Amino acid sequence: MSVVPFVFDVLAYGAIFVLVALGLGVIASMMGIFNFAHGELVLLGAYTVYLLEQRSVPSWAGMICAPIVVGGIGLLLERTVIRRFYAAPVVAMLGTYAIGLALREGVRGLLGGQFYSVTAPLVGSYTLGDVSISKWRSAVIVITALVMAACWLLLVRTRSGLQVRAALENPALARASGISTDRVYALTFALGSALAGLAGGLMVPIYSISADMGVPFLIKSFLAVMLGGTAGFEGAMAGAAFVGGSSAALPWFIKPVVADLLVFVIAIAVMKVRPQGLLSRGGT
Amino acid sequence: MIRSASSADTSGRQRRAIPWIEALLLAAFAVLPVLVDDFWVLFATRVLIVGLLALSFDLVWGYAGILSFGQALFFGMAGYSCALLATKLEITSILVLLPAAVVVGFLVALIMNFLILFGKRIPTPIFIALGTLTGSYVVERLARGWSYVGGQNGIPSLPRLTIGSYEIVEGRVFYYAALAILLLVYVGLRWLSRSQFGLVLAGIRLREPRMAFFGYRVQSYKAVAFALGGMIAGLSGCLYAFHEGYVGPGQLGPVLSTQAVLYVLFGGVGTLVGALLGVGIVDLFSYVLSQQWETGWPIVLGLLLLVVVMFRPKGLIGFLVPERERVGSFGSRSLIGKRQPPVGATDPLRP
Amino acid sequence: MVALGAGSYLYNPRGGWAADPIKVGVATDITGPISWGGIPNANIARMVIDDINTSGGLLGRPLQMYLEDTATNEALAVTRVRKLVTQDRVDVVLGGITSSMRNAIKDTIVNRGKTLYIYPQLYEGKECTPYLFCTGPTPAQQCDTFIPWLIRNGGTRFYLPSADYVWPHVLNAYARKTIEQHGGEVVDEEYFPVDHNDYGATVNKIMSNKVNVVFNTTIPPGLAAFFKQLYEAGFNRNGGRLACVYYDENALNITPANEIEGLGSCLDYFKAVNDPAGNKLQAEYSRLYPGSILFTAGSAATGMYRGLKLWEAAVKEAKSVKREDVAKALDHAKIADGPGGGSQFVPGTRHVKMNMYTAVAKGGTFEIVAKSNGPVMPGECG
Repeated sequence: MSVVPFVFDVLAYGAIFVLVALGLGVIASMMGIFNFAHGELVLLGAYTVYLLEQRSVPSWAGMICAPIVVGGIGLLLERTVIRRFYAAPVVAMLGTYAIGLALREGVRGLLGGQFYSVTAPLVGSYTLGDVSISKWRSAVIVITALVMAACWLLLVRTRSGLQVRAALENPALARASGISTDRVYALTFALGSALAGLAGGLMVPIYSISADMGVPFLIKSFLAVMLGGTAGFEGAMAGAAFVGGSSAALPWFIKPVVADLLVFVIAIAVMKVRPQGLLSRGGT
Repeated sequence: MIRSASSADTSGRQRRAIPWIEALLLAAFAVLPVLVDDFWVLFATRVLIVGLLALSFDLVWGYAGILSFGQALFFGMAGYSCALLATKLEITSILVLLPAAVVVGFLVALIMNFLILFGKRIPTPIFIALGTLTGSYVVERLARGWSYVGGQNGIPSLPRLTIGSYEIVEGRVFYYAALAILLLVYVGLRWLSRSQFGLVLAGIRLREPRMAFFGYRVQSYKAVAFALGGMIAGLSGCLYAFHEGYVGPGQLGPVLSTQAVLYVLFGGVGTLVGALLGVGIVDLFSYVLSQQWETGWPIVLGLLLLVVVMFRPKGLIGFLVPERERVGSFGSRSLIGKRQPPVGATDPLRP
Repeated sequence: MVALGAGSYLYNPRGGWAADPIKVGVATDITGPISWGGIPNANIARMVIDDINTSGGLLGRPLQMYLEDTATNEALAVTRVRKLVTQDRVDVVLGGITSSMRNAIKDTIVNRGKTLYIYPQLYEGKECTPYLFCTGPTPAQQCDTFIPWLIRNGGTRFYLPSADYVWPHVLNAYARKTIEQHGGEVVDEEYFPVDHNDYGATVNKIMSNKVNVVFNTTIPPGLAAFFKQLYEAGFNRNGGRLACVYYDENALNITPANEIEGLGSCLDYFKAVNDPAGNKLQAEYSRLYPGSILFTAGSAATGMYRGLKLWEAAVKEAKSVKREDVAKALDHAKIADGPGGGSQFVPGTRHVKMNMYTAVAKGGTFEIVAKSNGPVMPGECG
């Protein structure tokens, strides 16, 4: 078994998955809301890039627009709809499911039920010996790493980041300290949506766009978040890395159908053994 | 001890609406086949059968407080089991298949109980929701990939259910059979919700720690309710498979599971009859909608459901039934309005 | 959401007719992931039925088309098809694209509805239900001439990446037999869920085992990711040949042209065949449905055309629309002309023999590289 393609493959898929799951995870840890429409936010990011390419905007420009557009949509959703669910996170799941349904079917209508491809900003592959590595997928890994670093810096070094972390740890105390949890929640939701939009934009040259492209990510992202536990940012990353990594790695050794299931079985087993998740509080 | 549920009408002059709604619905369902043509009889039969599924969800959530996003798991597994019995072993008697479906539902619920409800720590509602959703998703994927049960295609061409040598043909005969079964289950659930068991469930749903302090084994009660829900969903699944004449992975998966949730939410949680209303109205509405707008009607449906969830989380029945009458509430509390602390906050029972 | 009924359309014959109409039911996926197939099916059905009506109808009666959207949703489809056979009481049903759809609705039509059913799409074979007639290519038709061509124009080492459902499983069994018969070997056969998008391990195996021909039966959405990852690993650059038996002009849009350069396909019709009947149909189709999804063989549109015309011929011979009479005539029905050539039902098998064409994707279009020596036998239910 060739090591380089294996490692590259795991990193490449893991990177995209981490972007998606992180967005969901931050929102879930902060507000207890599991956004069933998260997959569709990814879809909207992909759709933005596709739409812009149809109007002769190069895909890299589209990919810069995607997180901005989807972040904006997320903000809009949060201000109008999501904020009503903070009191009943359980109902939030259903409300966001309805939103996701509407979005998914809307895009399906716009796409005409077809699958379309978008050209990658970097076409072709690097050759190292007799191993070929896709240029664009390498770029995605690099971009993801940079975005993760930026998010971390945002949380740790900036004032807004401090407010976010405070609201995450103890909303009541944060409010008592004069932090507007309302604004923090809005910011967080927008950020999570922007991450999803970015992931969608980055992945569309690799996986092509279709109305159902977000659905497989959704369930696995939930798993990642549950695995990650209550430790907020680090927890979501750990969970996403675990689920994304094993989803990419297992098919190298066993049949893909079985690998798919095994990821879930392992995740549920881990959660039974360690209900608080891989990283527990105290890690923020 | 908790006082009996009939004290819910201590509100004085207020008349009870639910019995009227139930009576009206029963009368409507009883005479329906005589008034409409074949197509609508089939439509209505489906509503009755899926209504059973919705009832099972109302039981586990509205009464026991378990948010199960995986009711279709029992539905589909029972459907597949009965389909296999019918096609591989040529058993078509309804007297064998329906009990088999109930048993399958029970066993699967037992397994889910071990996986999700029981364990070192009490599972959070989110964990239960996602756990059941995952269970539904995983089993659907398995069914899609396993050629013995037909893979993506499922098992087609199911024979009809029989009693002795008499075939239960879909149409008026099947309709009344389904109605009879639904009635039986409904009455059973009504009785259960007023019984001691039902009262304990109500207590658990409102103040779980307090019930635990009283000495009730909370998880056991929940498990029993969950198992019961599984049995009813299984029954529904078998009927559905034979009415449609085929069983497929779609009958197992998260789409149908979430639909059951939406039906009940739409109709109104914790009232039993709300579940039936939800199924009837949503299905009817979807039919009408799809006639107007061929490609885009799911969008409208999604938006409509969103509106209901946002503005009327108590469902349609909230328009007809006062808060006090919902069996899911005693006094001024109800399940939906309860403020739940965000996941990150400290809580004595959470790890 | 699952709904009941509707997504139904009624196309009434134009002009005044004295006789009451013959009802034709078409049940296909106008919405949902398989809508790229359903839309041309519905379009061509309308076109053909209008043509028949303009030429005087059938047995002096006009044709009335009932169209139901099966929405790529088997549960929904069953209900809608039930409406066709019990409420609308159509005289024949044509439709279904995927095998799962066919399996879901066939019982409702043939057994419970006691109606004739014509299935127009390429599939895995082994469908021998009475009163169910298939007008799409079978594995024998798609492999018997195609695989030897692939061995001559690609190599002997084959890999079979597949979607995990009945069609690829059964097709692969036939393909494997044919490959080995002609001196090739199958390096491996792998099955993926249809939405699987990470093929790193598979691509690696293909490259390191020096596979010559990738005989692909994965379908969208996973397909695009697979072809891209294969291309990026250098498979095409190193002379590897791609093969996919459902690839038609519509499928060319799924991936960029450079990734599928040289891809081989074998179908009953390509636009590049350039035969008079096909060209006439293309012209009329593009005039009536400009900008819509193309009239191609991979989307079962050619099978739908064939099905309707063969049925028309059978009804004329039987002089009735009763199922038993038409089935008897349909059993050996024949049309002299059609896209890619004429076709005929092989008596006793309920499958059609027809010309098959091998084509290669070049620069975003298909180029015909081989044509069968006359009609190829379906080899089913014999």
